[in-house]
Amino acid sequence: MFTLKANELFVKVRPDYEGRMVTLENCLRKLKDIIERIPDREAKPILQAEREQLDSHKVRIPFPQPRPAKDAKYTLAYSKPAEINVVGSYARRTSIVVGGQLGIDLAVTMPSHIFQEKDYLNYRYFYKRAYYLACIASGFEEAQEDEYAIDFAHQNDNHLQPIIIITPIQEGNSKTKDQIRILLAADGDLFPISKTLPNKGCIRSMAGGTSSLGSSSKRPTPYYNASLRSECSSLAYLKYLHASSLQSDGFSDACQLGSVWLRQRGLGREFGPFEWACTVALLMQGGGTKGKPILSRGYDSYQLFKATLQYLSLRDLVSSPLFVHSDDITLVHHDGPMLFDGKRGINILFKLTPWSYATLKHEAGVTIKLLNDPLSDQFDACLITRVDDLLQRFDYVVKMRTRQVPIPTSQMVDALNEETYLCHRVHKAFSTGLGDRIRLLHLETPPILPWDAAAPQESTKALYQVQVGLLLDPENFSRTVDRGPSAEDKVAAAEFRRFWGNKAELRRYKDGTIMESLIWSTSDPTDSVLKQIVAYVVRRHLGEEAVDSIELLGELYDRLLPDRKLGIKERSTSFQPFMSAFESLEKEVRAFEGLPLQIRQISAAHARLRYSSLRIPALDHSPGQMEPASICVQFEGSARWPDDITAVQRTKIAFLLKMGELLEESTNGLIARLGLENCNHKLMNIAFLDIHCPSGAVFRLRIHHERELKLLERVLKDSTQSAASREETASALSTYKRDFIQGPIHTQAIRTLSTRFPLLSPCMRLMKKWRDSHMLSTHLSDELIELLTVRTFVHPYPWSVPGSVMTGFLRTLTFVSKWDWQNEPLIVDFNGEMAGPEIEAINLCFEAWRKIDPAMNRVAIFAASNLDPSGITWTEFGPSKVVASHFTSLAKAACGMVKERGMNLEPEALFVASVADYDFVIHLDPRSTRTDRGEQRHSVFKNLHVQSDQDKSLAGFDPVQLFLGELRAMYGSNILFFRDELGGSLIAGLWNPQTGLRPWKVKLAYSTKPCVRPGDEDSQVTINETATLHDIAKLGGDMVLRIEVKRSSTRQ
Amino acid sequence: MPQQIAGYSILPLSLPPVPSFPETATHYLYLQPHQPKIPSPTASRSLFLVNVPFDSTEIHIKHLLSTQIGLPAGRIEDVLFEGQRKKGSGMDEVSGPRAPQNKKSKKRKHGSNGDVIEDMESVALPSVWDRDLRTDGLTAVVLFVDRASMDAVLKAVKSSLKERRVPVWGEALEGKVPALGSARYLNHHSLTYPNKTQLLESVNNYMTAFAGKEASQARSLARQRQEADADGFVTVTRGGRTNPARQEAAQEQAEKQKEKQKGLEDFYRFQSREKRKQRAGDPNKPRPTDPDPRLDIVSSMKTVIWPRSGIPPTTQVEDLEIDPALTNFSS
Repeated sequence: MFTLKANELFVKVRPDYEGRMVTLENCLRKLKDIIERIPDREAKPILQAEREQLDSHKVRIPFPQPRPAKDAKYTLAYSKPAEINVVGSYARRTSIVVGGQLGIDLAVTMPSHIFQEKDYLNYRYFYKRAYYLACIASGFEEAQEDEYAIDFAHQNDNHLQPIIIITPIQEGNSKTKDQIRILLAADGDLFPISKTLPNKGCIRSMAGGTSSLGSSSKRPTPYYNASLRSECSSLAYLKYLHASSLQSDGFSDACQLGSVWLRQRGLGREFGPFEWACTVALLMQGGGTKGKPILSRGYDSYQLFKATLQYLSLRDLVSSPLFVHSDDITLVHHDGPMLFDGKRGINILFKLTPWSYATLKHEAGVTIKLLNDPLSDQFDACLITRVDDLLQRFDYVVKMRTRQVPIPTSQMVDALNEETYLCHRVHKAFSTGLGDRIRLLHLETPPILPWDAAAPQESTKALYQVQVGLLLDPENFSRTVDRGPSAEDKVAAAEFRRFWGNKAELRRYKDGTIMESLIWSTSDPTDSVLKQIVAYVVRRHLGEEAVDSIELLGELYDRLLPDRKLGIKERSTSFQPFMSAFESLEKEVRAFEGLPLQIRQISAAHARLRYSSLRIPALDHSPGQMEPASICVQFEGSARWPDDITAVQRTKIAFLLKMGELLEESTNGLIARLGLENCNHKLMNIAFLDIHCPSGAVFRLRIHHERELKLLERVLKDSTQSAASREETASALSTYKRDFIQGPIHTQAIRTLSTRFPLLSPCMRLMKKWRDSHMLSTHLSDELIELLTVRTFVHPYPWSVPGSVMTGFLRTLTFVSKWDWQNEPLIVDFNGEMAGPEIEAINLCFEAWRKIDPAMNRVAIFAASNLDPSGITWTEFGPSKVVASHFTSLAKAACGMVKERGMNLEPEALFVASVADYDFVIHLDPRSTRTDRGEQRHSVFKNLHVQSDQDKSLAGFDPVQLFLGELRAMYGSNILFFRDELGGSLIAGLWNPQTGLRPWKVKLAYSTKPCVRPGDEDSQVTINETATLHDIAKLGGDMVLRIEVKRSSTRQ
Repeated sequence: MPQQIAGYSILPLSLPPVPSFPETATHYLYLQPHQPKIPSPTASRSLFLVNVPFDSTEIHIKHLLSTQIGLPAGRIEDVLFEGQRKKGSGMDEVSGPRAPQNKKSKKRKHGSNGDVIEDMESVALPSVWDRDLRTDGLTAVVLFVDRASMDAVLKAVKSSLKERRVPVWGEALEGKVPALGSARYLNHHSLTYPNKTQLLESVNNYMTAFAGKEASQARSLARQRQEADADGFVTVTRGGRTNPARQEAAQEQAEKQKEKQKGLEDFYRFQSREKRKQRAGDPNKPRPTDPDPRLDIVSSMKTVIWPRSGIPPTTQVEDLEIDPALTNFSS
């Protein structure tokens, strides 16, 4: 399956070599001619060469930092190139076109005679190279007439290796998307490999005096060496990779898979397709024990791809470097990964910084897990989904600007430029400061854009922007006390004090140990521990002005929940009083003596009892505000229950009355009241018991009798029934299954997961807020939203498990926006135990539904889980097809907004709904709605807060809900209603377009008015919209302020 | 505006503006003499109404036809809305003359009196709404005392149409019917929690009726089992001889049998011989199990009057996951 889809993908990303390439090939040929015609230049001293270049050729030489010394003895020269070749993935025919852009690498090999033997030292090679490049650039500028745009850029962000980028200019002065990059190369044996091994030092002291010469000359410069070596080996690699693709059939395809995978993860900067290809090729030749290859040549592309990822994710190349074709080299002071190719003498991974290597390893690990998860859509998540959006990829993003500091001379080794040095400092400060609070730390700097060859290179900005992406460890990240090293460990303690400064204090703990510690304050809830640490570390190590620019993205989402004053920890405990109220009630009920049957089970079936209600259940709520939380009681089996469904329902009343009596007797202050529901249905549950605990919690208890299922099924099978009563029975059956079977199981499962994933609860609640604020709450059940959110946690791929509310929320939205619910079922595996046959069965069930109901009138969204293979429990009574598409398009709009505004997005903007698209809007009287439902309203006068019985009788009274219920019952087939539960005072409606003109008949389910068109014999009718709105106004009575008609009818 | 549509007279009703929707609207009511599919004795003096307003009550209709249209008071015997059950009067159920005939399900072979219990006044649960509302587009039947008054109404409707007189719906009826709006919902909320004693009484009545019904059902089944029909076949009914669930009855039966055989145990020699053999042969013979102790607990319950007998469960073979017939639920 994967391979098939991959082949399809290849067809799409492979450039059209014949058609599109012709122009580029022509262009290449022209460029080659130009380069070959550039006249040689004599060797000149540096200053003279630079002035001449600027004055007569208008091209600035892109010297690397530090600039060459003015009094240097050596000279710069240009001479005809030895060779010009097309290299890179284009030459190997493995390049991919993404976003319509294609690049061709043209390597110009410089003649060896312009270099001297010692040029590998002290940037001398690179200065000569820069001059050579400038000569070529000026050659182009002079030879062309505005056919091409000529820019300088850095090859792979390596400031040592500037290159020329040529973009053909089309008519109309627009650049095409295709680029030709002109790289410079040197002959392979220009410098001996032994001089540029990673443990050699090639930058001898320049600024330092003679005194430091001894020490600094020994300092190895792996980055510089590898950059130099890569110049000399580009042709060698072209040959090597070509040979590899001949050896193994899957190699080329594996390279393309890798390129796509890297690109979708935004990893290409340090570890690009070239490095990927080299890694695969090297692993095919060695790396295992005793030099045996790790990858077999017989693997197909998918196996190569997966095995390479596995190797990258498992092997830590920093602590245990890999040497292929070479003996081990002892390394000192090495903190980057190492994959050394002995034959060509280069560390393939030399460009990877510690953080980019960590990210690569992390991504590889996540992808391997994904490829082993049978339920995720492996291919799409692996190669199609873009995962480089910082907001979704990282739990928190820290954005800051800092001033660049000059690199101290002691650090001035290994060709660090100022940006890289800064990043290293930021990385050091954050990784030490945050420790095990984070799982991953990623740094992202703005890319260095190509600059015009004629213009001077932009002077580096005073303030430099760095974005730090963090993946949090949900267990540790909000810890308030950090224990450092023990006071006895002098060295470590001193190190700790040096890093933390005054913040470190010595503390004695209960177990008698004395440790260096850090205490973070919790007094201000808006100032999270993470924020405090970041601010402190940045102030101490990166300077004062950086602190002011810190922006912590991701926190704002936490504040969107109604209880914005609470931290994560307090939030999970804030459900606790309600939970314990339920537990004590359970104990009490179980202890009853006077019931004729023993109780088998008491289960909860409400969002408030599974940490997922939008509002925290408050016990001291004002009366009449809290809707009761459903629970079910199941008695043990008995043959004495009547064998008739209606009689069973009546028997329940007797049981409930008895239980109510017993409860009121056993607990002081408890009020139990029996209520009726579904009075018009003979088959459904008709009675419940509302229990007002003295603690303030309100529960709604129903009796679950397991035989109801069989009885209902028997009624359903009765073939003598009319269609209408069958329908009624079927709906009674699914209501029974939902309320008594699936509800408790679902609640239990969510509770378990909430303890496993602490962030699941706030994410579910934020999703519910989003749903409510977009007026979808009457259509999308709580459970469906919960399933969607749980999916983000148990099948997080292509990301890892969310570590903040932001990621959980945005990823769920992204999933909703991309989910093609018409053709795909939602399958959630709560505990990771689903096997193939179960998934197969669910898929079959889904296909069966689509086959018998292709118009999706009955079931639009199919959401199954391992607990509920039927898949329609939570979606049977909504959303309809129209609402489901509305849901998707809202999610799409939200995701589009996130993508468009990126870092500057105000999260509140995602929660603003517009009523412009509805046909009419009913404005309700705010006095009759409960806008502040569930929020604690503390009365100024304590004595007014005493609850009377009269108040309790109003518990759960929601007139708007009842009004909406009646509207839906009466007009549901003709009007779609949307209620804004948060704002509280709006109900919007949409007319069903199928109520237009039609011949008159008796049973039309809407109020009609006759219309006669001239020349039309038959009288026809259409829906009487004005009268219907009038009826609605009348039904609402004093609750309706006004009805605003947004769009007049188009039917006439 | 046409006066007739598909044979129905059109009666426009004006809906007075309300503060929240200050527009005048017109509702259209359609009338015709009642012509039910199954003829009934009262059909000739009934009028069939289509598209009654959602808040119609008997009072509304009577007021409309008498005060507003001009029929003398007291000529209307009854008003019956679609979906509403008849209250013992001699009228047949409302069904439109041309509506796709909702065929009354064939009488079941047994248990045809199954619907009766729920309709009895004494067992009905207290209503949770103070006033029923109608779905849009529903029908109603108005029964007049005689045919003449029905004709008079039809004529009056036609003449008022000609004169362009439009009666105002629900005029001067405020206060005579329960109000809508928040008052209605508040009322509903308190009605949801009915009086306990009243409730208990209704449950007890129901259970008595249910037990009675079950007993009579069992009797009729037993009769059917015994009587052969004209062709000499005996109807196979549920609850025949083999009855696994009737444990008590089986035990009773066994006890009786024992009693009968009491004196006859050692009648023949081979009997005593076998007895001795058995005793010697397997001494660990399991004792007969005690009856389920839970049954006693159940019988101690006072409030519920349990049905005397139960119908044994039938085995369920098929699994009803998706029934294609359900899909025509769609609107």
